[in-house]
Amino acid sequence: MIRLLAISFFSIFIFSSCALKTTEGLRQVHFNEITVENPYFSNAKIDYVYKAKIEVYRKNFGGILIIKKIAADNHRIVFTTEFGSKLFDFQFEGDTFTKHFVVEDMDKKFIVNILKEDFKILVNESAKVLAVYESKNQRIYKTESGDRFNFYFLDETSEQLEKIVNTSKTKEKVTIDYNSADGKIADTISIKHNNIKLKIDLEKFKKQ
Amino acid sequence: MRSYFLLLFFIVFGSAMQAQETAMSTSEIASFKEKVVASAKNTQTIKSDFTQYKHLDFLADDVKTSGKMVFKAPNLVKWEYTNPYKYSVIFKEDQLLINDGGTKSKVDIGNSKLFKKLNQLIVNSVKGNMFSDADFTVSFFKSPKYNKAVFIPKDKKIAGYIASFELLFNKDDAQVYEVKMVEPSQDFTRIIFSNRVLNSTINDSAFSN
Repeated sequence: MIRLLAISFFSIFIFSSCALKTTEGLRQVHFNEITVENPYFSNAKIDYVYKAKIEVYRKNFGGILIIKKIAADNHRIVFTTEFGSKLFDFQFEGDTFTKHFVVEDMDKKFIVNILKEDFKILVNESAKVLAVYESKNQRIYKTESGDRFNFYFLDETSEQLEKIVNTSKTKEKVTIDYNSADGKIADTISIKHNNIKLKIDLEKFKKQ
Repeated sequence: MRSYFLLLFFIVFGSAMQAQETAMSTSEIASFKEKVVASAKNTQTIKSDFTQYKHLDFLADDVKTSGKMVFKAPNLVKWEYTNPYKYSVIFKEDQLLINDGGTKSKVDIGNSKLFKKLNQLIVNSVKGNMFSDADFTVSFFKSPKYNKAVFIPKDKKIAGYIASFELLFNKDDAQVYEVKMVEPSQDFTRIIFSNRVLNSTINDSAFSN
């Protein structure tokens, strides 16, 4: 009996470590939606300006993150120091990624790739829905992006986007938490990586 | 008819604005430099408010931040943003002491030549006294309102970050009232000083986070 119990615990451990944590305890439901939308950087009239705090391997640094939709499916992302000097300047146009500028110390393939993947999730406005799940108060949309998946967590009643979890088939890679008063502009955004010690906190500039 | 006049007005006024600024003569440069150096020598402390405008071509509005600056001779500077967020940097010997909304950190700039140069630029531009800097080609302009010094870096590495550096000086007291840093992309940062107080007593304890 004890052995059986041990085996079943062991198998639970094995199976649960293989299955994706994101959808654990959620029930899959039928759906009619074709796409799920991310409204937070979708208004071309707005200059999206955020104070950024970055913690990477216990080192802290800050700056200003500026995102602007310059045309349909076309975003410019600039990160500067508090003093205004540019650290990087990227552009996403459809699937084309352009590196306009990266400061020498940051211009490493490994770093640029992480930033590229993170910001791609951030500015992508619409994704095709593959599956839908439900929890007590959220509706979760599974979408595909390359060989990864993005799960969009929307509040069931307000339909506000609250979280995006980027995963491989078995593991959560990046979690993006949003806080928004009106559902149109994110007041705070927190990007957390699970496999590397990297956390980016963004706070919208207050109106002066 | 009215819009025609308006257009004419802008053409005349516009060209007048451009004509306002002319290059200084050799003797004007000499006396201007002398005045700035003398003013910097007499400046033991500076307290000032500032407003910073970050201009990016693709934005509708410049990104505006503001705060306070404190300087004490020979080389202590506290640069503090208070709006729309709290962030301060103290330039102290070979270190930057940073307080980012409560998160404190230190950066050693001792072994970074570029950082040292940028740091030196900030300290010297606050004082206005950087004409002896061999790393820049300097040119001088005047207008009825201001005197202007434009610094162009000779070093290629610095030129990769800064296309030019402009200081605007008051005509009367030869103090810097505006700093403009132009990037190779032509995007720029403008810092405008206001409410400047010279030579008030400032304790060293003001330079801690």
